[in-house]
Amino acid sequence: MATTQEERTGVETVARAVRRFRKFVDEMPAEVLVALAVMTLSLLGAFVGFLLVSSLTIVPFLVFLTSAAYGWVRYQGLTAKVLALSTTIMTILILLLITVFIFLEALPTIRFMSDTVFGIEVPGLGIFTTQNWDAVSPPINYSMVPMIHGTVLVTLIATAVAAPLGVAAALFLSEIAPAAVREVVKPGVEILAGIPSIVYGFIGFTILSPWASDQFSLVGQGSYVFVGIIVGLMALPTVVSVAEDALSSVPESMKSGSLAMGTTDWQTMTSITLPAAFSGVSAAVLLGVGRAIGETMAATVMLRGVPKLTEPIFNAFYGQETLTSLIARNYGEADGLQMSALFVAGVILFVTVLFLSIGSQYIEWRMRKKLGGEV
Amino acid sequence: MATDFGVDEESRDTLVQSGTSSTRALAAFAVAVASVLFAISLTALFEVVTISEPIAGVPVTALLGGLLILLGGTVSMFGVGSRLGYVETDPRASAGLVAGIAFGGIWFTVASLTASQTFGLGGLGWFVVAPVIGGGAFFATILPREDVGSTVPAGALTALTGAVFLLDVIGPQWVWDLGFPDAFFVAVTAEFTIPTLTLFCSLLAGWASAKAYGGFGARGRHMGAYLLVYINALSIVGVLFVLLAFTIFKGLPGLFRGFAIGAGTGPTSTIVLFGTDITWTWPFYVPFAMEGVGLLNEFNGVLPAIFGTIWLVIGAVVFAVPLGVGAAIFLTEYAERGRFTQVVEVATNGLWSTPSIVFGLFGFAFLIPRFGGNKSLLSGALTLGFMLLPLVVITSREAMIAVPDEYRDASAALGVSKWQTIRSVVLPAALPGVVTGVILGVGRIAGETAPILLTMAGAPFTPGSETVDVIGGFQFTGAPPFVSNPALLEATSALPYQLYALITAGVGLGENVASPDQFQWATALVLLMVVLSFYAVGIAARYYFRRKLQYQ
Repeated sequence: MATTQEERTGVETVARAVRRFRKFVDEMPAEVLVALAVMTLSLLGAFVGFLLVSSLTIVPFLVFLTSAAYGWVRYQGLTAKVLALSTTIMTILILLLITVFIFLEALPTIRFMSDTVFGIEVPGLGIFTTQNWDAVSPPINYSMVPMIHGTVLVTLIATAVAAPLGVAAALFLSEIAPAAVREVVKPGVEILAGIPSIVYGFIGFTILSPWASDQFSLVGQGSYVFVGIIVGLMALPTVVSVAEDALSSVPESMKSGSLAMGTTDWQTMTSITLPAAFSGVSAAVLLGVGRAIGETMAATVMLRGVPKLTEPIFNAFYGQETLTSLIARNYGEADGLQMSALFVAGVILFVTVLFLSIGSQYIEWRMRKKLGGEV
Repeated sequence: MATDFGVDEESRDTLVQSGTSSTRALAAFAVAVASVLFAISLTALFEVVTISEPIAGVPVTALLGGLLILLGGTVSMFGVGSRLGYVETDPRASAGLVAGIAFGGIWFTVASLTASQTFGLGGLGWFVVAPVIGGGAFFATILPREDVGSTVPAGALTALTGAVFLLDVIGPQWVWDLGFPDAFFVAVTAEFTIPTLTLFCSLLAGWASAKAYGGFGARGRHMGAYLLVYINALSIVGVLFVLLAFTIFKGLPGLFRGFAIGAGTGPTSTIVLFGTDITWTWPFYVPFAMEGVGLLNEFNGVLPAIFGTIWLVIGAVVFAVPLGVGAAIFLTEYAERGRFTQVVEVATNGLWSTPSIVFGLFGFAFLIPRFGGNKSLLSGALTLGFMLLPLVVITSREAMIAVPDEYRDASAALGVSKWQTIRSVVLPAALPGVVTGVILGVGRIAGETAPILLTMAGAPFTPGSETVDVIGGFQFTGAPPFVSNPALLEATSALPYQLYALITAGVGLGENVASPDQFQWATALVLLMVVLSFYAVGIAARYYFRRKLQYQ
């Protein structure tokens, strides 16, 4: 494993790479170079063919397989390295492809929903400035405001459930629980994460929703509050496992030092462990929020599917629609502009969650740097 | 909570506190009453106990009210007794800001609700009453010594709630209309309010009495906090247990409808191996897992969905595991740590937290046009593979980083090439971690509904004859792409989708499903069993490998 390189300027890096490449070309026999070139080009060809929906995609792919097999037999080490590199590139490509494709599909609606501000037409602004979603009867309008409202309410409630309970459970697992109890509770939390969201949704739909309607004399079924609670339960394991990692990454010497001063365990937790792991714990909560935003099936099954704001706006006892459930409910009969509007919802979700993920990674990275561990 | 660190002004010389047993017993009694109330309120919340019906001749509200007053009284008495020196404790000068803000906030809420709703005071009355009482509670918590500050506000609130129940201010018929528009009508009923208030007060007073049991001070705070943390952990496990038990209880009747055991009762299966047919008859018959849905069936089942799920998982694993492990090898073994690995790390983590429905949209826009333009098993499997990929990369990387560098160095010192080292040293050592990660990831994607909703799902009620047969479906053709497999390019059903379709179809499942309710719960149970068996295997594998590594 290579150690971390000191900072280099971009030009130097490129120059070094070119030099290394020249040296590589000079040293290798021509046969190897040809095999490598064929592999790379055929894989590229297969990718382009796949992108262009060509039925001939199979041809470069077969060429790639043959050349890879040949390389594997003759120069196994080099071929393995090249294959490993190409899998890495494909992993990044998938994220790029997701970004590009959902943006492309969302474009028509973004153009359709333009709005003017200070006399300048801004595409996509209407999605946020208007308030009604109407896909069937004119005037057709695709506002995301009701769904964003729903997602925000559900996420707030879910966070209120998952964050305190999750952090407390993480404290319990990492600091308090005796080994035997820990061995029971930890897999329990993991299994909680394993229960499919549709099963949560089913139980919520058949048991919780009727119960809630009864308790609060609601008209019909479906409320953001109880979807939020169920989603919070689903986000809980994420919060627990990430927060637990953060708590146990606090150096043992810090905790022992505090205990040696005669503090109780709880004092050590509140004054040493939690403050030291604070950024990691907040990253855990951020990731939990991301999970809650993206949760689909429970929301789809339990909500009413009416894309409207509730009245008054803080009335979370009525659950209309979230960004995720809008997609899951309407993909069937949607086409054209409406389908594109669903992709707009997807873009909003994707971008929000990506930001949360990057944010939490940045926080974790800073924490590890601060605690003096490996970065 | 920096104050926690300071040494008590009144700390004693004794290292171990030898609390007198009788006073301890009083605090323990309060904890016990609080737990009884906690249990009753939970059963009442889930309507096992009805609020309006008396238990043993005593109305439930009166019972709860009496117990709450008893609890509140005991807690307050303990605090006051400790202040006056009747009870030997070890309190600090103040209960602290956190407790003060919490109690102040609670009393503020209680006062504002009472002022505006019960006494109907307008904005002005509310404006005066709520801050005065909330502020009063805040100062009553932080100003006196800890033993009074942390018990009396909690005890008083508990006793007040008890009195409200006992005096029938909030009785079984109590309803609070929130005054929202008709279409969004919300009214809080007594069935919800009474258990919830009891639950809350029992937690609050339980915390205070646990603190008292520890004799306040650092030890008392420790006790109070541990009580809450333990209750939290217990309730998480409890929720899990209830969810599983409930699903099993509701699902078993449907699963075992028409169950038969004995030679020759089951269906006949045939597999072709090396050109010879091997045929056998199952010695048991579980129609729900062995039949599809058909008009002529005596019992209907979900066999096609089970097979759909199996093939989906196989497809996703075949796609994601080689890619993910390859990427992990490159990142840990070949690449220099720097910008590039950092970008890949951020990308994989971002991919891992991307909502599943976004993967579904991507599969819909990217894969479906490339595989014949309609929903298919192949696009579903690939979409799930995309979801699985980041997890495989992350867990494989972790497992490979955990392989000690000495292994690599020792191998290199023997003159073994880099790739040989990876193949015969690093990969075998990292295998347990990779396998465990993959199994847990598979458990997760096997239950995913949202992505296959958009990429794969066909008709939910599939006849048994349409069970996918991927192995038998391969055909070779003369034109590119030379290989075709109609089974891969057709829509089929899968367990999570089947359950979703059953929920949205509601009661109108048609005549071919005799009792829809049983059918739904049995589907949920089968799905849960499939997913949780992956988890069980994954968790068991982790324990097995960990133990094995420890012995080494």
